Amino acid sequence: MTTARTNVPNSLRVAAAAAVASALAAGCGSVNTTYTRDRPADTAVDARTRVNDLLQQIFLSAKEVRMFRNSQGVMEVQVDVENNGFKYRSFSYLFDWVDARGNVIPSQLSVWKTTNVPDGGSTVIRAVAPNEEAADFRLQIRRSD
Amino acid sequence: MHHALRTARSAVRTLAPAALLALAAPACERARYIETGSPEGIISVGEVDMQDILRASSGMLESLIETGVLKTAKNKPAELVIDQVVNDTSSRFSVDELTYRMREQLVNSGQAAVVTTYGQTPEDKTAQDLLRRQAFLKGERASQMPDPDFSLSGKITQVKRSAGDTKQVSYTFRLTLTNIRTGLESWTKTVSMTKVGNKPAVGF
Repeated sequence: MTTARTNVPNSLRVAAAAAVASALAAGCGSVNTTYTRDRPADTAVDARTRVNDLLQQIFLSAKEVRMFRNSQGVMEVQVDVENNGFKYRSFSYLFDWVDARGNVIPSQLSVWKTTNVPDGGSTVIRAVAPNEEAADFRLQIRRSD
Repeated sequence: MHHALRTARSAVRTLAPAALLALAAPACERARYIETGSPEGIISVGEVDMQDILRASSGMLESLIETGVLKTAKNKPAELVIDQVVNDTSSRFSVDELTYRMREQLVNSGQAAVVTTYGQTPEDKTAQDLLRRQAFLKGERASQMPDPDFSLSGKITQVKRSAGDTKQVSYTFRLTLTNIRTGLESWTKTVSMTKVGNKPAVGF
């Protein structure tokens, strides 16, 4: 009895092998994330859409943006950043703080910081205001990979 | 016809090496200004970069502000003495790059005052001498001299590892605020950063 061999072109075989290798490589270091909270936090603010627009330009997304006065009466912002893609991402961010009149408060706290999010993973970027006068924030994001 | 062909061949022979040289030469980058601490700056694996120092000072300040430790001082604003911050890394840089940024933020915003006339090796010897002279002439006691609340000290350390050509360095900046009246640690913070690679690179 002879075994019937399918007549697949070599180029197709190579392409298939490359696709499998690439899929396996993409799985290296990927992270799975789950949340137990299913409702927005009390401190969530409606800036999520705007922050999300910013993050989507570098293929990331904002799950939630929280802003609150901490126990010392100083504003703090936290942004949950998710990477739902298949690539490890690095980005830099800079929070500036503005007072109630909309003026930027210059400070040594506002510096560029770089962070990474593995595929499927998430991170929290946060910043603390330099003083009690801060009422709102401005966020800048740029790719670093 | 033959003459034109010969001229074309000769031109190719002359230009080809020049073109190859141009391709082989490293890309020329003109000097330009960038924002200090920007991700566009050079990232070195075996050195503490400006981005690292700025990130550390920002992290320290955030922690100082969010814990409110300076508000617990007897003096208003809190009076600080800057003690030794030791650079225990193989990277050569001045720790003043870190402490002066922190001082600028705390002093100029009125959250703390740095005492520069304290101790045996004061930062400002002239001011200390004048202060002592004035106190002596007025007949005041040592209690009239600055009475700081906290002393700031710290250390910057590194952990280096490598695998083949790839190097990895973790730098840890740690600062401690000691309550001078009790001798106890009132606040401490570490800020770490890890870099991996085999050669310096220009960020973007």
